[in-house]
Amino acid sequence: MKSAPAGPVHKQRFLIDFSRPVLIAVAVVLCILILLPMSWLIVYSLTDKAGTFTLRNFVQLFTEATFLEPLQTTLLIATSVGFLCFVIAAPLGWLVARTDMPLRGTVRTLIMASFVTPPFLGAIAWELLAAPNSGLINQAYRSLTGAGPDEALFNIYTLTGLIFVITCYTFPFVFVLVANALDRIPGELEDASAMLGGKTWTTARRITIPLALPTLLAGILVAFLQALNLFGSPAILAIPAGFHTLTTKIWSLFQYPPKPELAAAASVPLLLLTVALLRAQAMVLGRRGYAIVGGKYGSPRLVRLGWLRWPALLVSFLILMMPVFLPYGALLNTAFSKVASRLVTFDTLTLANIHFTFFELSATPPALRNTMLLGVMSASLGTLLALFVSYITVRKAVTGHRILGFLATAPVAIPGIVLGVGLFLSYTRPPLVLYGTLWILLIAYVTIELPSAFQQLQSAFQSVHPELEEASRILGASRLRSLRDITAPLLRSGVISTWCFIFVAVVRELSAAIILFTSETKVVSVLIFDLKESGDLGAIAVLGLAMMLITTLVIVLANRVPGLGGVTRLRNT
Amino acid sequence: MSEQFARPRPTRRHVVQGVLASSVAAAATRVLAAAPPTEVITPALIEAARKEAAVHWYTAMDLPAAEALGKAFEAKFPGIAVRVERSGSERVFSRIAQELSSRINNVDVVTTADASHAIVWKRDGLLAAYVPEDVARFYKPEHKDADGTFAIHRAHLSVIAYNKDLVKAEDAPKSYADLLEPKWLAKLVKGNPNYSGTILTATFQIARDLGWAYYEKLAKQKVLQVQSSVDPPKKIALGERPVMADGGDYNVWQQQQKGAPLEIVYASEGTPFVTNPNAVFKSAPHPNAARLLQNWMLSAEGQQFSVDITGIYSLHSEVKAKPGRRPLADIKLMKDDAQAVEAQSDQIKARYTQIFRV
Amino acid sequence: MVANRLNGGSTRRVTREDLELASVELRGLTKRYGSAVVVDSVSLKIDHGQMVCLLGPSGCGKTTTLRLLAGFIEPSAGEIIVGDRTVSSPTRTLPPEQRNMSMIFQSYALWPHMTVADNIVYGLKLRKLGRDVIAAKLAAILATTKLAPLVDRYPGELSGGQQQRVSLARALIIEPETLLLDEPLSNLDANLREEMRFEVRRLHDEYRYTTVYVTHDQTEAMTTADLIGVMNQGKIEQLGTPDEIYARPSSEFVARFIGSSNILRGRASDAEHIEISGQRLRTSGALLVPGQEVAVSIRPHEISIATSPVSDPSLNVVPATVVRQVYLGNSRDYMVATGDGSPIRIVAPAEQNIAPGSSVWLALPAASCQALAR
Repeated sequence: MKSAPAGPVHKQRFLIDFSRPVLIAVAVVLCILILLPMSWLIVYSLTDKAGTFTLRNFVQLFTEATFLEPLQTTLLIATSVGFLCFVIAAPLGWLVARTDMPLRGTVRTLIMASFVTPPFLGAIAWELLAAPNSGLINQAYRSLTGAGPDEALFNIYTLTGLIFVITCYTFPFVFVLVANALDRIPGELEDASAMLGGKTWTTARRITIPLALPTLLAGILVAFLQALNLFGSPAILAIPAGFHTLTTKIWSLFQYPPKPELAAAASVPLLLLTVALLRAQAMVLGRRGYAIVGGKYGSPRLVRLGWLRWPALLVSFLILMMPVFLPYGALLNTAFSKVASRLVTFDTLTLANIHFTFFELSATPPALRNTMLLGVMSASLGTLLALFVSYITVRKAVTGHRILGFLATAPVAIPGIVLGVGLFLSYTRPPLVLYGTLWILLIAYVTIELPSAFQQLQSAFQSVHPELEEASRILGASRLRSLRDITAPLLRSGVISTWCFIFVAVVRELSAAIILFTSETKVVSVLIFDLKESGDLGAIAVLGLAMMLITTLVIVLANRVPGLGGVTRLRNT
Repeated sequence: MSEQFARPRPTRRHVVQGVLASSVAAAATRVLAAAPPTEVITPALIEAARKEAAVHWYTAMDLPAAEALGKAFEAKFPGIAVRVERSGSERVFSRIAQELSSRINNVDVVTTADASHAIVWKRDGLLAAYVPEDVARFYKPEHKDADGTFAIHRAHLSVIAYNKDLVKAEDAPKSYADLLEPKWLAKLVKGNPNYSGTILTATFQIARDLGWAYYEKLAKQKVLQVQSSVDPPKKIALGERPVMADGGDYNVWQQQQKGAPLEIVYASEGTPFVTNPNAVFKSAPHPNAARLLQNWMLSAEGQQFSVDITGIYSLHSEVKAKPGRRPLADIKLMKDDAQAVEAQSDQIKARYTQIFRV
Repeated sequence: MVANRLNGGSTRRVTREDLELASVELRGLTKRYGSAVVVDSVSLKIDHGQMVCLLGPSGCGKTTTLRLLAGFIEPSAGEIIVGDRTVSSPTRTLPPEQRNMSMIFQSYALWPHMTVADNIVYGLKLRKLGRDVIAAKLAAILATTKLAPLVDRYPGELSGGQQQRVSLARALIIEPETLLLDEPLSNLDANLREEMRFEVRRLHDEYRYTTVYVTHDQTEAMTTADLIGVMNQGKIEQLGTPDEIYARPSSEFVARFIGSSNILRGRASDAEHIEISGQRLRTSGALLVPGQEVAVSIRPHEISIATSPVSDPSLNVVPATVVRQVYLGNSRDYMVATGDGSPIRIVAPAEQNIAPGSSVWLALPAASCQALAR
């Protein structure tokens, strides 16, 4: 009787679904970002100047003392730092997360402040404090104790000094891991121990610590890796002290005449060691790669410290002196002082350093411009890329999403300076000569920061129920549309905190920038490094403090602007 | 692919071989061809430079001094911004090489403390021939290039110096040999020839005159190793170490002007003499501004300014030395030999690294 | 009955005949995850306007089947055909956004950053309808679901029942070909659930969409569905009307799952009789093969319990002993043990009060003794 319409009442929408091609493009970009520099690195390490295959680079590496010693030194430093970070961060984490120590929220925030400080700036500040003769601490020591002019409380130009400074700026990594894990231990577990008669210390020893142990181990590995791959602090303290680490050695191989084959070969042990340790960390933590303890449980039971609260607080603040109070005090002093080794007074206060840095030093404005530009671009691009990749992996949007997730986390295994070398080798040859442009720095920064951005956004995604996107898809929205309309607004605070994180990390990055910059593309971290080599301490202090100010401002702004939501706040109890 | 792209950058070895392979060059820098015409600063040049609006100056000169020089130039020729790219001479050489071989033409004018660099650049054909009038009239032949590709901007010395507050005059070292005494253990600071042209030149001259054995003994003194030759004077002014084994004499003078209690020692064996060539690059992105800067820097006015603010020794015969600085004629100098430095540069650096382990 | 559609602009009434072709068919639909078969060769034909309920315990594959229908996952084998289009097959699966289906999720999936109104009209906005059209349709659906006063609220401010209605409104406003419901009532409390059960059926009767409803609650299924598919371990054990499922379960699983049931096991003596603990019972339902081991299902309230022997040849009579008895107000729940100790549960009127330990005679009507095929 009738011809019924074959389809729905409303006219069919013919939309081209861009989802699939976009997702594939992202995958391709990721592959290029990571696989290209690494391939060139391997190629260079295995060839000689004529381009023929050879193992001679590695042979040279492992037989010459000038290479072996830095390798040994580096391993020694990394092990010591790992151990020290554990000794400092574990008790501190416990105090902050599990006890009723007063002001523990403040302590937590201050530790994050040391997170934000670039390690090379901290090293310079500690030079001001602990150079054996001119260091402020040593001067104070001599005048207080009447010690002889040759005696110093603490000589920063030693292996110990370097280990100390690296530990100062690495222990926050371990602290954050430990504190967060301890935050999540269900209170009920400790209740059970208490009900069975376990006293405070017994509970801590038998229940809390074993539960947090995997995270502790993971944290030590992280500290080890950080120390292994650090460039800034060793470059500043090791050479005056008379030794090289592997990272400074790699960098020195790039000085004229450059020996990229040897630099590449020297990078390979670092790379392999990092990969091996990351695998070990994964095994320690199980398949998830991080330790979550518990789900919907009660909040942790706070241990009552009683009269020990105040000594605990004192110890915490003493620890905080090292990365935060003393170094920034020294920098402030130097910024306003004519002579860095004198404590500034009202009479000797001078603004000449500030004037010099901002009005006379012709390298400052372009460096600031470059840093801000790169910071904003890297943060935006990196966040976008991480958003796409984490969407793909969390929602399993394309086959092979697991590989994408692996690629996005892979750069963690590549030390900054090694990536710099790889990128240098990739982009100084046609067809794509990016060396000398800001683009190569952009690529480096995005690659370096992608893993953490990816992990942060991944967990943000996991908090958005997939059914929210499915509901929009079944109503007719494509994947991309759903991402835009539904998921992205819900992820806002995660996106903002990731953006800030990348921005801060880019501003303080040195190890890749030191290889890739040219005079036109200098950034503030490299400028500070240059100034250090010519000994212009006043300008360094001013620039360093300016850098920290900018970083803090950006973070505060992101937190405060209404409608942008809050950066993931630290858990305050 | 051409050879240039098969490797990321040419080594000095390559460059030398390449040039020798061609039938043109002799080894010497003094080619008896017709010298280029002398140039004065004309309004046309100034106007052309102003249109370019900027000039990139790569220098090893102490940073505040370099910036001050830049500002003076900007004041004299408004509208031309001077971008100072300061690093140790060896670092400057390395960066220029990297940039040029990656087709990044950024450098306009260079002032280096490693005279051998000028030889290499000229041999590679990278320098522009430009002879300011003052250079033609007031500079001795040994202080300039016969083909006009560079001239010596200034000369300075690498000296021993000490902090008077920490060391009494009678205890102070008087020679390089004195530095080896046990009382100076862990009391010395010095620069690094891998970074600094001044230090490289000084190391060459000292090694030649006193032998490498000297450095091997010096290394046992637990010397504080810094990079730039402008740093040791700052370090002894800070009081970090009482004595510097090498470093720029004009930097010491600068510290003295600021009130630091420093004293220069002209070693009895002789003091290393360092010349600083000034050159314009053929590939300069701002060719007119570059020539203007070169001209002004080497003119009486520019030289006088440099002398006044930094105390360096000018080789312009019309320029008066800074009062209070000991005249060069009164100092026992070691002989400079840029060509020998050029030939041995790699070995010097490698050997130094081996001895001092940095 | 002709549904009066709120169609975009045109005043023509769409008749049911227009839509007769839009039905849903699953042919041999299979989904494997690794070696686990989650949906095992499910075949089902749903006529237009029917409400079919997929009923089963968790893990039986009903939600997976629904998601296959929606297009969120691809089948490992088999096909899904809507109208005359194959929308799902192992080689090609139409994405959810192109299926013109609608879905109500167990968690409602209301977008927390959008108001009730924005949530509801999202689907219409995607279809690029005019503002007036959208406003008209919104007003109509709000009236139907009684949500008008809540239009500007956010989902976080609504109660469970209100959220559920918003979810319904959002799904219905786009007038889909097919409506999918994934345990929509399981998050509601008991009273609300009862009310919403009827609401869902009422809306279905009004709009007559083809509906597939997934639930583990048999009461929901029994009250709302035209057709119930009882699922177990990826297969549809039985497909039928609520009546058929309840009265004539075809398998032990179905018998146990729907209502409560006694399962008696014995051996068939002929096509219609089985031997159970020495007793000979007449069965209905599946025809038996002599010598076969058979299970028979009979509901507790279909069994009469008597304190004196019953001799009615049309009834199956089984002697037993009362083990325990529970008084439930309007009935008594007896647990008895037969000769060989097998327990049987009986629900009898409250007036009869038989003490534990007493000997009783059970009357099992043959019509109620369902022989189970599986």
